[in-house]
Order: sequence, then structure tokens, then C-alpha cells
Amino acid sequence: MEDLMAKRCIWMNCGTALGLLLAAALIGGLAANPSWGKELRQELVEQSMVEQVLRKGVLRVGMSTFVPWAMHDKQGNLIGFEIDVARRLAKDMGVKVEFVPTKWSGIIPALLTGKFDIIIGGMGILPERNKKVNFTIPYDSSGMSIVAHQQVAAGFASLEDLNKEEVTVVARLGTTAAEAARKHLPKARVLLFDDESQAIQELLNGKAHAFISSRPTPAHLAARHPGKLFLPFPEPFTREPIGFALRKGDVDSLNFLNNWILLAEADGWLKERRDYWFGGTSWEDLLK
Amino acid sequence: MRFSPGKLTRFDFVLAALLAAGMIYGALRITTGLDYPWNWQAIPQFFFRRDSTGGWGPNLLMQGFINTIRLSVWGALLGSLFGFAMGLARTSRSPFLRLLGFLYVGMIRNIPSLVLIFIFYFFIGDQLMPVLRLSEIAAYGPVPVRKLLEFLFAPAHLLTPFLSGVMALALLEGAYITEIVRAAIQSIARGQWEAASSLGLSRNQQLWYVVLPQALPRILPPLAGQFISTIKDSAIVSVVSIQELTFQGLEVMAATHLSLEIWTTITLLYFLLTFGCSLAVRQMELRTGKGWA
Repeated sequence: MEDLMAKRCIWMNCGTALGLLLAAALIGGLAANPSWGKELRQELVEQSMVEQVLRKGVLRVGMSTFVPWAMHDKQGNLIGFEIDVARRLAKDMGVKVEFVPTKWSGIIPALLTGKFDIIIGGMGILPERNKKVNFTIPYDSSGMSIVAHQQVAAGFASLEDLNKEEVTVVARLGTTAAEAARKHLPKARVLLFDDESQAIQELLNGKAHAFISSRPTPAHLAARHPGKLFLPFPEPFTREPIGFALRKGDVDSLNFLNNWILLAEADGWLKERRDYWFGGTSWEDLLK
Repeated sequence: MRFSPGKLTRFDFVLAALLAAGMIYGALRITTGLDYPWNWQAIPQFFFRRDSTGGWGPNLLMQGFINTIRLSVWGALLGSLFGFAMGLARTSRSPFLRLLGFLYVGMIRNIPSLVLIFIFYFFIGDQLMPVLRLSEIAAYGPVPVRKLLEFLFAPAHLLTPFLSGVMALALLEGAYITEIVRAAIQSIARGQWEAASSLGLSRNQQLWYVVLPQALPRILPPLAGQFISTIKDSAIVSVVSIQELTFQGLEVMAATHLSLEIWTTITLLYFLLTFGCSLAVRQMELRTGKGWA
């Protein structure tokens, strides 16, 4: 009996000692933070995204599937306008590129919590977004246009036709299309879906009058389903600049990327890529 | 105890006829009322693709399927670990351990799975993962280690989200497994504890040598059901962009607009996994002698 009690005593004391040692080690580890005592400018340079990417040798890019900005082809590789831009950026930096496909509605939180370094995914510059992330100068500009169901939205030819209470409009959650729908069609009922394919299926099933999205998607959809969908008016009704999104407080990276964009625009490469991806549909055979 | 097959009565025929009529009506409505251009030929290419070297490699849907298997296996394993530990805590003599178990189950069971996954992924995962340093080993370690980590979990740049997903899944399943273990232990008659104690065994020895061996066959059937639940719950982690089957399916749908074909394919694949699991469970039940023949 005493034997058992003695054993128990030893175990309990050992356990307590170990626990206290562990706590001391943790506190010591936290206290020995090496970043205390450096100059602020040095800190900023070391913490900048560009510096860290160069050190690691890989640029992690967050994007979401938007045809034709970024999508998977038949082989499972990523292709698209944004993919080309990201690949060229990584090549110019001399690093590898890694794409992190992310749901669009959670892409800004994912950037802020460090899941990737930069968003190159056709993100429109909006003040609401700018409060959370920094944007570079625009490297592309987009506009909203609408594709409508021929039977359900027969005869619609302007925004006013759509701005009525009995009209249902679909858009993708978290995009500027959703914003545009709320702003320009305040009376209509707006249904938001996480993915474009879900929103489009809703339209094709005749449960919605129209689908709002950035050009050239509505035009492509109307061409793909000629008997069912049509374009009420062909011109985009908004204009929005598209920029890269970065975490806040990173002036070095902003400067680097802004200059990169100026250069890519100046040598005509950006325009050539835009014409290929948005001007035609020659890339469609790669998809299925 | 064997159930005899029994005779087919008139009621059975009526029921069968009603069911058949319902299914035929459903099939007709789907094929004629849906107005959808079915294109099944485009689906197989998303399972396997030709490599640059000429061999065959997995394409998006197959990669997603394999990731789902990885998520389910690791989630179930880790969840069982948590579940057993917490189940023992809930039935222990220490009030602190009992409180710990109670809080764990109460918190996890009362938060919707989706909300839990978001909270874990965006807030907790980032604080825990750098401590493990696995992402650095996966990116810069020796090549055999890297290949092993990639096979077991995920490629280096997707390792941290994958592990966050596994942890979240394990926490979720662990709460339910805790209750299974607790119920099994508490279902052992009090007399067993008393008899063991009267033989001079300590409390831990009573648990290990007398109670747990009897509780284990009672844990296994609901535990297996929980594994099947894990496979289905792994679809939820697609909302934090972990590249499992549902997420890859949505990506392919976004590019090709083959919505219904891909949803059907995904359903069949999940059914394959869960039904396979159920069959394995059935074999195990028969072997431990607890199942009905």
C-alpha cells in the first residue's frame, strides 16, 4: 500500500516539475524574439512581400476560377489572362509561381491570413476592398454586361426594364457584379451564388431573368446558347479598373509591382494578352 | 439469430408497384422537363490525362478524389484519437477531466460544422501551423521526406490548408466519437467495476483489463458509422478551398459548364467511398460476432 502511494507521489512530482519546465521554456521562447531592437526601415524592407518571395524563391498567387481570366484546361493545367500575367511576373522576378485556387468569397481573408502573397485574379478596385487590402495601379479594366433569358426576359432592352420588383437577377457572390446589381438595379431581386456555373444554371433553367457579369462572359454565354439567351444591350454599363491586391503596409512591393505594370503596358504585352483572351474565343477548345 | 426471408404478400407487390411508378415518373420528368444538353463524353478526360512523358497521370477529379480519401483517413484517425482521449476523460474520476470533456463536446457539437471550419481555418490554423514547421520541411527538406509528405498529405504549398482542414475535421468527429466511447464505457454493468475492484485491481487496471475489452465491441458499429460521416463531412472543407473532390468538381464546372454531369459523377464517387466503408464495417461486425447474420 505504501509502495503504491510512494510511486504515485513520485509520478505526481515528476509531472508537476515537467509542466513547470515546459511553461518556463515557452515563456523564454516568446521573450527571445529576435526582431526587437532593429531599425524600422530595415524591418520594413525585410518584411516586404517582394523580399520574402525572393528569399523563398516562390511566388504564391491567389486566384479563383473565372472564365477566361483563370481556369483549368482539359489537362488540369491553369490557363487564362491572369495566369499569363502571374507567370510573366514570376519570371521577371526570377522565382517559381504557385497558384492557390481559392473561393472568391473568401479570397481577401485568405490573403490577409497569409495563405498566399498576392491576388492576381481580376479583382476590381473598390473602396470597400481598399480598406482591407492595397491595390496596385490598374493593369486591365473591365465592365459589367448582362445576358438575359429569351423567354423569361423577352423584349427587355435596357437597364430600366430590369429594374423592377418582379425581375430576378443572378450574379456571383462577392464580385463587383453583385455590387453593380445592387447599385444599378435596386428594385430587382438579386440572387447570389458562390460559383458562376451555379448562377448560369439558374438562368438557363429559366428561374432568373438575367445574369450580370464582367465582359466578355455574357457575350460568350449568349453565343454558346443562341436559342435560349440573348444580350439586351451589348455595351458594358460600368467601367472598373482591375489591380493586384496586396496586404497593407507594404510600400516596397507596391512600388515594384506598379513599375512592372507600367513596363508590361509600355511594351504592348498586356494589350496582346487582352486581345487574345477577351477579344476572341480561340482558346475554348482547350477547355473540354 | 437468423431472419428467415419470409413470404411475399400482396402488400409487398403493391408497395413495389408504387415505388416503381414513382421512379419512372421521376426519371421521365428529369429527362424531358430539364432541357439540359447532356454531354457525358467530356467527363472521362477529367479523371486521367496524358503526361508530357507519354504516361498517364491523374487529372483534376482524380486528384480531388485522392485528396478526399486522404482527408477522410487522417480526419478519422485523428478524430478517433481525440474521441478516445476525451471519452476516457468524461468517464474519469477527476472532475477537471470530466469538465474538459464536457466543454469539448458541448462547444463542438453546438457550432455548425461550416462555421467551425471557417473559424478554425482563418483564426486558429494560422497560429498553430507555423509551430509545427511542417510547411518548411515540406518545401526545403530532403527529397524523400518531401515526397513522403506529398504522398501522405499534400504538396508543399497546399500543406498548411490541408492540415488545417484535417484538424478541423478531427475536432468535429472527435466530439461525436467522445460520446460513442462514453456511452459504451457507461453501458458496462457496474458489477464489472465492483468485481474487478474486489479482486484488488486499481482503477486504471479495472479500466484497461476488464471494462475496455467489453466496451470495444460496443464502440465499433457506431464508430464505423462516424467514419462514413467523416467521408461526407470532408465535402464541407471545400468552402475553405481545400482541393478535395467537391472543390475540384466546382472548378471543372466553372470552366466547362457541365454542371449536372459532374454533380452526378461526384455523388457516385462519394457513394463508392461510403458504401465501400459500410461493406468493410459489415465484415468487421460479423467477425467480432456482434452483427446479425
